[in-house]
Amino acid sequence: MRLQLMALALRACPALAETDSHLAEANGLRALHVGAPATAKGNDALIYLDVENTFGTQAVLTGCTAMDQRFDLVGFTYGAAGEAWTALPGLPVLAGREVMLEPKMLALRWQAISVDLVAGAEVKIKVTIGTEILHGDIKNGAANATGQSHAGHSH
Amino acid sequence: MPDVWANLSPTLQDILLTLALLTPGLIAGALVVRGLHPLPLVGAMLRRFTWVNLLFVALIAVSVGVAVGLLAQERGLRQGSARAAEKFDLIVAAPGSEVTAMLAAVYLQPSDMALITGAQYAEIAGADGVAFAAPIAFGDSHLGAPVVGTTADFVTYLAGPLAEGRMFATAEEAVAGAFSPIAVGQVFSPAHGTGPEAEHEAHADDGYTVTGRMVPTGSPWDRALLDPVEGVWQVHGLANGHPPGDARIGPPFAPDLMPGTPAVLVHATKLWANYALKSQFTRGDLMAFFPGTVLSRLHGLMRDVRSAMSLMAVLTQGLVTLSVLTGLMILVRLIARSLALLRAIGAPLRFVFAVVWTYSATLIGAGAGLGLALGLVTARVISAVITARTDVLVTASLSWPEVHLVAGFVSLTLILALLPGWLTVRRPLLADLRN
Repeated sequence: MRLQLMALALRACPALAETDSHLAEANGLRALHVGAPATAKGNDALIYLDVENTFGTQAVLTGCTAMDQRFDLVGFTYGAAGEAWTALPGLPVLAGREVMLEPKMLALRWQAISVDLVAGAEVKIKVTIGTEILHGDIKNGAANATGQSHAGHSH
Repeated sequence: MPDVWANLSPTLQDILLTLALLTPGLIAGALVVRGLHPLPLVGAMLRRFTWVNLLFVALIAVSVGVAVGLLAQERGLRQGSARAAEKFDLIVAAPGSEVTAMLAAVYLQPSDMALITGAQYAEIAGADGVAFAAPIAFGDSHLGAPVVGTTADFVTYLAGPLAEGRMFATAEEAVAGAFSPIAVGQVFSPAHGTGPEAEHEAHADDGYTVTGRMVPTGSPWDRALLDPVEGVWQVHGLANGHPPGDARIGPPFAPDLMPGTPAVLVHATKLWANYALKSQFTRGDLMAFFPGTVLSRLHGLMRDVRSAMSLMAVLTQGLVTLSVLTGLMILVRLIARSLALLRAIGAPLRFVFAVVWTYSATLIGAGAGLGLALGLVTARVISAVITARTDVLVTASLSWPEVHLVAGFVSLTLILALLPGWLTVRRPLLADLRN
């Protein structure tokens, strides 16, 4: 009984949510495979991840923060003028569904990063989905990486 | 320093890069001709060997023109294909190849595709954030132009107000693309299928009256004939999406009376909704994709081709530079007696050196300038051919990358042109005078 109570308490407490290096989870919302290509300080970094909603209702991904900087949710567009990323107010994740933020599609944009994102290093991140804040890590890939190295891996 | 550079406008960066590329050649030239006036003598040399000089200029111009034309053309093709896909926000189709579906729905390249059912279409059209969902039903043709069944909303969204006539109002009417091979008021019967194997008599009993013509969109839709999707279903002997006796066209369609459509263009009410809808309709029985994303990935692969082309252009320039140098050395031998005479009457060696360098620089400069113009003409000719063959409007124009290529070529060649000048002043004076 005590063990079950402890498990329930852990599950209900976002601060103690699972913090596997490529998985953050709280109340049925999961942020997986958070990754970014290595990016030099001062440039914009694009963060990719998968968001799963196993909660009963829709939740809206609105952005995230790291190192006291807020990231925009951005959508990719392509036309005669070339590639562009446009800030989006939020993205609904339907109940029981998964949304993948992937290259040339959707990303979290960290503008003018204050540190170098070095391949192999990790940065703490807080992803805001609905009223939940998921605590995870950005795993930096190679500069030309198109996703997190564990993408496609089942959790 | 990197911050200062990053804060400059792109145009200023390009201008500065051009100047930086030109600077070595210009500095070399300034040092060579400083305090001297070789131009009158160079003018005389240009007039004396007019045809040889013209040949040299033409050689340089053709080389520069081909390189510049290819680079401009590649960019024009990329921009043209992207422009043609701009209106296609989100496509939903049956699971399969996104590239095939994009080529079929956006570029109207014939392809066999599974159909989306009436129930699936109703779910897409009724989803939150959908402004309209237009069926895109292709497969028939007329005089080589694709006949596509869709909705009036899509026609207006694609091309805006019609250039001529009015929108189709019945299942037996159609709107022509800007360059489709049929006039407003004419009646046509679609062939079943496309290309040489199209069955021209298959729908001979059915016909569409063209009621309007769209404005150009710069896409293959300019050659298409667009009719209500109900018309496409009817000529194939299928239910038309509405109860019997209901002559209305356009959505909503009765799911059980809708025969299906190979693709649906989804236009969302808000930009963010496109991404939500993409996520919503990416599932086992449906495939949702952004043509822009697919195209961008394809263009990403083409980037390697572009790099190879750029390398080839640089190598070609290098070979031409060597050819020009060889030619200049031969040319200098031809005028060796005149130059020896110049030295014999007291002209300083530096003046003779400056004459030869300025003469070479004039040929190089004229060839490079003419090459830029030739490149523009080449790119425009190739663009016209590609536009005619693909119906994708390709407009190629010169831009900074071409200017940088030519600036680099000119600068390098101006420095290498010091060599013929140096060889000239080292030639034996007496031997040249005797010859």
